[in-house]
Amino acid sequence: MEEKKKVRQLNPLKFRAAIFDNMLSEDVGYSNYSYWRSTLRTFFKNKAVLALVVLIVLIILMGFIYPIVSSEDPNKASLLPLTWNQRPSWEHWFGTDTLGRDIWTRAWYGVRNSFLLAFCIALSDVGIGMIVGAIWGYNKKLDPIMIEIYNVITNVPSTVYLVLLAYIMNTSYLTLFISMASRGWIVEARFFRNRILSIRDSEYNVASRCLGTPMRRIATKNIIPQIISLIIMEAALCIPYSIGNEVFLGFVGVGLPVEAITLGNIVNQGRASFTLHPYQMLLPTIILCIITVAFYVIGNKFADASDPRNHI
Amino acid sequence: MGKYILKRTVNSLITVIIVFIVVFMLLRLMPLSGYFPQEVLKETDEATRMSYLRNQGLLDHPLVQLWRFVKNLFHGDLGRSLTVYPQVPITTLLAEKIPVTAAFGFSSMVLGIILGLSLGLLMVRFKDKWGDRLGTGYILAVRAIPNLIYLFFIQVWISKWFGLPMVFYEDQPSSWILPVICLSLSSIAWYALWLRRFMVDEENRDYVKFALVKGLPKKEVWKKHIFKNAIIPLVVYLPSDLLNIIAGSLVIESLYAIPGTGGLLTTAIKSQDNNLVQVIVLMYAVTSVVGVFLGDLLVAAVDPRIKLTEEG
Amino acid sequence: MENNGHTGPLIFSAKDVEIKFNLRGRTLTAVRGASLDLYQGETLAIVGESGCGKSVFTKSFIGMLDKNGSITGGQIIYRDQELTKFSTEKEWLTVRGKKIAMVFQDPMTSLNPVRTVGEQIAEVITWHFGTAHAKAKEEAIELLRRVGIQDAEARYKQYPHQFSGGMRQRVVIATAIACRPEILICDEPTTALDVTVQAQILELIRQLQRELKMTVIYITHDLGVVANVADWVAVMYAGQIVEYGTVREIFRGAAHPYTRALLHSMPQLGVKGHDLYSIKGTPPSLYKEIRGDAFAPRNPEAMEIDFEEEPPMFKVSDTHWAKTWLLHPYAKEYREQLESRTRQQHESRKPTPPFNYDCAEKLLQVKDLTVKFKIGSKEFKAVDNVSFDIYRGETLSLVGESGSGKTTIGRAIMRIYNKVDGSIIFKGEPITGKLPRGEAKRLRLEMQMIFQDPMASLNDRAKVDYIISEGLYNYHLFDNEADRLRKVEEIMGEVGLSSEFSSRFPHEFSGGQRQRIGIARSLIMDPDFVVADEPISALDVSIRAQVINLLNKLKRERNLTYLFIAHDLSVVRFISDRIAVINKGRLVELAGCDELFSHPLHPYTKALLSAVPYPDPDVERGKKLLTYDPSIHDYSVDKPSWSEICPGHFILGNQRELDGYLREIESCS
Repeated sequence: MEEKKKVRQLNPLKFRAAIFDNMLSEDVGYSNYSYWRSTLRTFFKNKAVLALVVLIVLIILMGFIYPIVSSEDPNKASLLPLTWNQRPSWEHWFGTDTLGRDIWTRAWYGVRNSFLLAFCIALSDVGIGMIVGAIWGYNKKLDPIMIEIYNVITNVPSTVYLVLLAYIMNTSYLTLFISMASRGWIVEARFFRNRILSIRDSEYNVASRCLGTPMRRIATKNIIPQIISLIIMEAALCIPYSIGNEVFLGFVGVGLPVEAITLGNIVNQGRASFTLHPYQMLLPTIILCIITVAFYVIGNKFADASDPRNHI
Repeated sequence: MGKYILKRTVNSLITVIIVFIVVFMLLRLMPLSGYFPQEVLKETDEATRMSYLRNQGLLDHPLVQLWRFVKNLFHGDLGRSLTVYPQVPITTLLAEKIPVTAAFGFSSMVLGIILGLSLGLLMVRFKDKWGDRLGTGYILAVRAIPNLIYLFFIQVWISKWFGLPMVFYEDQPSSWILPVICLSLSSIAWYALWLRRFMVDEENRDYVKFALVKGLPKKEVWKKHIFKNAIIPLVVYLPSDLLNIIAGSLVIESLYAIPGTGGLLTTAIKSQDNNLVQVIVLMYAVTSVVGVFLGDLLVAAVDPRIKLTEEG
Repeated sequence: MENNGHTGPLIFSAKDVEIKFNLRGRTLTAVRGASLDLYQGETLAIVGESGCGKSVFTKSFIGMLDKNGSITGGQIIYRDQELTKFSTEKEWLTVRGKKIAMVFQDPMTSLNPVRTVGEQIAEVITWHFGTAHAKAKEEAIELLRRVGIQDAEARYKQYPHQFSGGMRQRVVIATAIACRPEILICDEPTTALDVTVQAQILELIRQLQRELKMTVIYITHDLGVVANVADWVAVMYAGQIVEYGTVREIFRGAAHPYTRALLHSMPQLGVKGHDLYSIKGTPPSLYKEIRGDAFAPRNPEAMEIDFEEEPPMFKVSDTHWAKTWLLHPYAKEYREQLESRTRQQHESRKPTPPFNYDCAEKLLQVKDLTVKFKIGSKEFKAVDNVSFDIYRGETLSLVGESGSGKTTIGRAIMRIYNKVDGSIIFKGEPITGKLPRGEAKRLRLEMQMIFQDPMASLNDRAKVDYIISEGLYNYHLFDNEADRLRKVEEIMGEVGLSSEFSSRFPHEFSGGQRQRIGIARSLIMDPDFVVADEPISALDVSIRAQVINLLNKLKRERNLTYLFIAHDLSVVRFISDRIAVINKGRLVELAGCDELFSHPLHPYTKALLSAVPYPDPDVERGKKLLTYDPSIHDYSVDKPSWSEICPGHFILGNQRELDGYLREIESCS
């Protein structure tokens, strides 16, 4: 360690007390930060995600707008065999099916119905699951009962469970909803219970209790902001799951009645004539896959983006 | 350890009993017409149907039926099939079908573990590079797209490209290939996903850094520390994988006309064979409960940390 | 090169090392030209606040920088090898772990939980020397014995979770010395351990160093530890070594303002009743280019030149170097000015008279408090039959090691646990069990708590404004919005935070600032009594002083009463009037602060006091370590009781022990 050579001439006048700026030393090293802004920025930074969000919004909007503006009847079967099984054309963009019904029209009705069903299921799964999970997390006494309910429901493989329930009840939108929703809530409840348990015992929550914060405000200020991103993620992931189950139940033969226009039914009907007329299945399947994949990706990417460690 | 096993056994037994009662009672809730397929309903009159039901003992109080079922169960009698194979004892049917399903399930489980772990390792090895992207894409496809859709395309297209049989023939070994692969697809995604996640988690732990500081080469650390530790929590997922495979077998066995229990359940549902449905569902439930139980024991066996704490 | 005061030959030298990290597109210069020499058999301590680059610097000696970091300048030379030229893992492995070994801070996480400790030691030997497995096992058992683990053969086959924290650190050390390394780097080796265990581990390292003729580098922020172990001290700030010298030179005649500030902010050196010297602000962000002396913005005595030119290393003596303009001939006048000013300040400081208990009123009484917890089906007593009083206006400290039940007592008083046995009386009214609503509300207003971890105790999704006013909202303690804002602004001013911070989120603040937010949140309720649960143990040394001063200031201004929970006796001496020592859920001794330090009676208190590091090398080296062995108490027939042995001095013991303690007091006086 040698004394360095002074390169420049130093000014002796500079060797006196400088003015001490108190604020300079207290300066916070960070910029203005907001959790949600950072989450959204991180989320949309990925251009593929942005594209998927736009695409999915367009598809869903189309599903809701098309049935209103179009005069085409999706169930209008044709008696003329000539109009059956037509390939895609200007007149019928996705072609017609074995009964001469316009697949383009049916597809949008299907998007609307399937999405609504899946959305309701997601809403009820996550909604009920969150409320039950919160109660469960706050009451240790519920543990034995809830765990037993969880075991009973989840120990039956999901497909077997759905088939069984759909089989017992006559199939309709409502019963399909009931059979799926009756299973999903407990899975979500357990998920939220674990999260809430860790938040419940966190130090800032204890601090709030010491300050006498009422339960209501603890829920709205301490708990919900922490789990809202999980709620969104779980709801998004519920949608592909519900749509997949609908397709599955249709396949097993306990799905919705044939008159119901859902993506599941369209795909299952198209499957029967796939070897001869592949487009009847392919085109609606593509829409269905875009929806499920988009929600899956959005759910997962959102979970990543909502983790503060990934924030810029 | 003994106390722990005993406690878990009792717990599992309780779960099985509850599942059993719930399933049994649910099936009794079905309208009586549910015992007859549409054609039979049309052809017969009310009186014959009632006398048939009375003969079968289906009009007795559900609890009486439950008691009878339990009593017969201990004599190795599970009742008789109603419609699929009329009056054939279900035990005979199952004795024929279970080995097939078990063989398929077992081989795809092994395949799933091997390929899944390999894919997971590939993803970690080439993290954030091509291997990771490949794996992520695969996992996304399998988890987001409804399984029925890709299974169907595999059956139609892949079989054609590779000249593999589209359905299962008992005497043709090559007809095993596609169903086994299909059955293991979701397991592969499952294992790859979790192995990657656990290994990435373990990689950042202090003990890994310490192992490297000790002067062990990276390869050694990956093998002896990271991989070994990441595998342990994966064991917990083995039973869920079993559930997955059971769930998948429902679809795959009927797609490939495999004479197993999954296909049988689908057929039984389509022809509304109540007795058969009930037994198969129960069988699946018991298998899952036992699977979860074995999984817990396995974890306790491989993880030294669990042995000391007797509480589950 | 001459051997400036060094005893062994030079074996390692780092010259002008610069280390950069790439983090999300931004470059962080963690080490900015640091140099260091190591001589055989000596101990060097590197001291500095967290984030000053000391860990990164030493990690570069064994090529263990994270993937996004690299050495961008300078040289590291070990023996005749230039380590900076190493490019392959194979080259590094000839040195890493074999010649230069490292011990990490947290023994709880340093060992692989699913492999036996023996395997983890043996694998190092097998790998480096190709020893056969059976031979390696033998050696590993020998190593375990050597680091003081009893019954080593049986312990070899056990898993880390079967060892206590101190024992695990012994295993970690055994692993590190398995190859007889020449250099052992200990990165905060005792920070996660209790004081008594810390003293034992330091002793063990010292003993091994002698036996193996190792050179040891300690990385630490605890100057007490430095005084205990080091021959040489290097002070690091903002990625540079700013001062280097023998341990006595540093402790007696520090030249760099930062070193002096660090030493002055030690509570051991403070005068009771006066503010501790505290360093303002936080270390600079190393993302930005630093101009001049990095410490200048935090140094109230900085010179103008400090903001403009970076100072070179000046030589103080043959063995002492410092990087500050104060040593430049031009600064002679200013330096003398400063020195006389500090001398005056020191002389004018007289300790305040001790708290007067004669006319004091009991604010809180704890009688036979017992708290039980259930772990599975087993029940254990976290707090066992504890009684004490707190007088209005005093600070009572509750000191104990981790798991002693001290936090549980605090939380029981705050009614966080509803099920407790015994009674707690606050202002003459019992406060245990169910209380009427109004009563519970009143208590919340009069009793508040400050938490340990400033990171975990603030809700990170809420703005500071909400966090501070949470209590106001709960009890509508404001007339209108303007009044609330005024109150928030007022309290923020009191804790030294600018009111413009109120719209920010907790993330944006440093640990010390967050702790001040936590204090503001509690004090806006205007309580009489505050439970401070280890409020400074998660903070850096320099920031501790800020918070201690703040707590003391608020106590004076608002006439508060504190129950101060801590594990660090040195801090406690500075701020408390009385101290209660707790061990395994039972109070063992309670006395006035000076009384306890000068005449400790209970063997546990004595052991605890002897283990506390004191920031003075001569004191540290002369001290004798006492160990506490609970088996000396024979409570089989004669049960112990909590008794007042002389006025104000309580102790736990049975009749025979009490007689002994009494004799001890008499012989002293």
